[in-house]
Amino acid sequence: MHASSENTEIIHEFSIEVRDLLEQLEPSILELEKVCNNELTQESPEINDALNNIFRLFHSVKGSSGFLQLNNITETAHAAENLLDRLRSGTLTIIPGYIDLLCGACDFTHEALDYLDKHLDDEGMGDKAKKLIESFKKILSGEALPEDTGSEKKKQESKAESPAPEPEIRIDLEQEPDNLKNPKIVEFFLQEAHELLQTIEQDLLGWIKAPEDKDLMNRLFGNIHSFKGNCGFMNLADPEKLSHSIETLLEAVINGLDVDRSDVADLMLGHLNAFREVLDDIADGGPGRITGLEDRLAPINEFIPLEVEEPEKSDEPKPKLGEILIEEGIVSPEELKSALETQKSKGAYVKKQDIRVNLEKLDALINIIGELVIAENMLINNPDLVGLELENFSRAAQQMNKLVNELQEMATSIRLIPVAGVFSRMNRLVHDLARKSKKKIDLQILGESTEVDKSVIENVVDPLTHLIRNAVDHGLESPEERVAAGKPETGVIRLSASHEEGDVMILIQDDGRGLNREKIIATAKKRGLIDGDGSMMTDSQVHNLLFRPGFSTAEKITEVSGRGVGMDVVLQNLKNIRGNVQLKSEPGAGTTVMLLIPLTMAIVDGMMIRVGKSLFIVPILSIRESISPSADAVTLTPDGNELVRIRENLYPVVRLHSVYDISPDNYELDKGILVVVEAQGRNVCLFVDEIVGQQQTVIKGLSDFIVKTGNVRGVSGCTILGDGNVCLILDTHALVDMDKTVELHTG
Amino acid sequence: MNASQNALDPDDDLFDDEDTQKDKYLTFRIANEDYGIAIANVTEIIGIQSITEIPEMPDYIKGVINLRGKVIPIMDVRKRFKLPEREYDERTCIIVVEIDGTSVGLVVDTVNEVADIPEDQVEPPPKSKHKGGSYIQGIGKIGKEVKILLDINKILYEEELETLSEAVQGA
Repeated sequence: MHASSENTEIIHEFSIEVRDLLEQLEPSILELEKVCNNELTQESPEINDALNNIFRLFHSVKGSSGFLQLNNITETAHAAENLLDRLRSGTLTIIPGYIDLLCGACDFTHEALDYLDKHLDDEGMGDKAKKLIESFKKILSGEALPEDTGSEKKKQESKAESPAPEPEIRIDLEQEPDNLKNPKIVEFFLQEAHELLQTIEQDLLGWIKAPEDKDLMNRLFGNIHSFKGNCGFMNLADPEKLSHSIETLLEAVINGLDVDRSDVADLMLGHLNAFREVLDDIADGGPGRITGLEDRLAPINEFIPLEVEEPEKSDEPKPKLGEILIEEGIVSPEELKSALETQKSKGAYVKKQDIRVNLEKLDALINIIGELVIAENMLINNPDLVGLELENFSRAAQQMNKLVNELQEMATSIRLIPVAGVFSRMNRLVHDLARKSKKKIDLQILGESTEVDKSVIENVVDPLTHLIRNAVDHGLESPEERVAAGKPETGVIRLSASHEEGDVMILIQDDGRGLNREKIIATAKKRGLIDGDGSMMTDSQVHNLLFRPGFSTAEKITEVSGRGVGMDVVLQNLKNIRGNVQLKSEPGAGTTVMLLIPLTMAIVDGMMIRVGKSLFIVPILSIRESISPSADAVTLTPDGNELVRIRENLYPVVRLHSVYDISPDNYELDKGILVVVEAQGRNVCLFVDEIVGQQQTVIKGLSDFIVKTGNVRGVSGCTILGDGNVCLILDTHALVDMDKTVELHTG
Repeated sequence: MNASQNALDPDDDLFDDEDTQKDKYLTFRIANEDYGIAIANVTEIIGIQSITEIPEMPDYIKGVINLRGKVIPIMDVRKRFKLPEREYDERTCIIVVEIDGTSVGLVVDTVNEVADIPEDQVEPPPKSKHKGGSYIQGIGKIGKEVKILLDINKILYEEELETLSEAVQGA
């Protein structure tokens, strides 16, 4: 059932691909007309290129339609190829009739594709194909040339002035993969293949847990089959062979072959890595071979008993997928019938519901919408309108405002993708780590449908990987230790995502041993990170020591977890996307790492503040509170640092007017406002004159020129305000960092 | 593929464009001296507008402005030449130049005109001991008038070296 819809999918993709090829074909064919018009000779390099190009394109059409057993299309393309072969070798001269014929082949293929979209096969096109192939044959036989390569070669030799003879291209499986040369197809193939591998991997992992899940097995089979098909289309012999044998093994398992599931799954997971290497190789322009293919095939074949026959490719018409499924008892005839009906009513006419869009185009669109928001603000708050009673204008403006807001929301949501893709990668990671470290781990994933901007999520992959590694290596204990501590043998790592007031919170929780305060302090002392014995430090201050570069408490460097570069990389990655990390830990009960990340990098919720005449935006994410301090809450330390007591804590003060060299309204702390901001678990108070208000801020980068010329600190970007002025966005991380000395005193 | 190239023929236009821009300079005045920059680098000329200061920049970088949604940095050419500062007035202009995709606005006293200065009317820069000599690409002559032709790349990026070397010396 699933396999059928998979098949529909493949056919649709084929149809789209071939249409692309046809689009390239037609201009090249028309190029040949120049020979007829005596603009170029058949021997000229342009025509030679065009002929080769046409040949290659027809060959691609033939290859992919052959894979789908669309015989009419295949044969037509083959006939065209034969003609082109003669034209290339110079044994035939280009005349308008040939060009018409080639165009006819294109038109036929177009028609066949239309037919295919509706009926999912090309059987109805048989008559037309026959006619066309006949015309091709007539022309070829009119020259009375035998299909014998030897005599053709003689002809070539006799034509001394003909261009250097192309190496004879024969159609067999060992042939150089043509599709690999078409960057569009390669890109499409790679994307598709990565997605398939991802799904296959998930299903394999799922299969270990739920061996009886027939749907899952069938899906797995279908996806591997698709992958094989795609590799075949690309003429990638090695991955095709490997996936074929995996498919065979799976088939045997579906048919009741008794195997050690986890062994089989591990084997296959290993092969998935090989596939990924192949894909990377292809992405780098390599040929896509698998090294040690035989060694990889051998263990699979060991699983397969002899009587299971490998389904060979044959010339017989392929039995319909549905028939196979019934035969093998996977689906009942009734199920098949209903599935076919849905396929007919849905599959045939419903084209793909999503389109792949160039990210640059999308970003440009979002930028323009950002401009629109600003322009709208400038229009509605135009100073020329001040004091006028404009009832109709206000109504129209309101409507406009509503639409623009909707547009902006929509634009932002286009770029949002669920975190599921990234989370599911962690499944594999945990599986591998558990094996290596011989720990029993249950990874629980929650809220994987939470959506985040694509570029944000890409920046979260590395931190997540680090954190999961940490959790497995440092967090969770060995099964013996756990039992001794009265915990269940299997450790739990919970990965969850949720929306948290316009931001996204990702939690990585383990129920392991928790952070060891004493060990952290000891290491920090050894590294000279703290003065004194650290007994005065709060837990969160101790935990934040872990984010210092090069800090590691692991007694030995293990293969699993790195060399203590983990946590500061995590922090750096999150800083890049204006996010934040927090650590919570309870000895013996586990550790929780909280990642707060913005929904998107294009917009930030900001609080506008004023110092003197200058306005700044502070990201709301980092604001804890704001207060007007009383004079007696302020302490001046002997070395000139100001501290403000808020409830039980003393926070250092950063005077923005002196950082940015502005003359403020007030110099006395008790006359202004203190905004408490937090970054990396440390708090500082920003001294400002006024809090202007909250607003959605479209983020713009400062010009590269500024970054190169100056040494901008404490500014992460800028935005354009409603009045058209540029306003700087403060970088709270940098502001907190400006205050290194103070931390030692509070600590 | 060939066909689409023929249809667009983008190259012809480009060459034409470059030809018409050759030898053309936008001339402007700073402190009683006339300067010129190659027109090919100039995107537009705008009046002075409110500039947002950026902390910790060299003094000749006045800040950034919003140019139809694009944030571009502003350099005061007077300050760049270490000339005394002067209040901006209604004749003060910002010449927006673009080099390698980076737009920068240059504040000048007044913009004069686009002048045609053929190659044979351009003299090589004098070997001046003056520190600013390196910014000069040549001296253009129009009749009796003389225009100092500036090398925009150096104007924009020379100071980068300075600040860098200063920074190295400071450390």
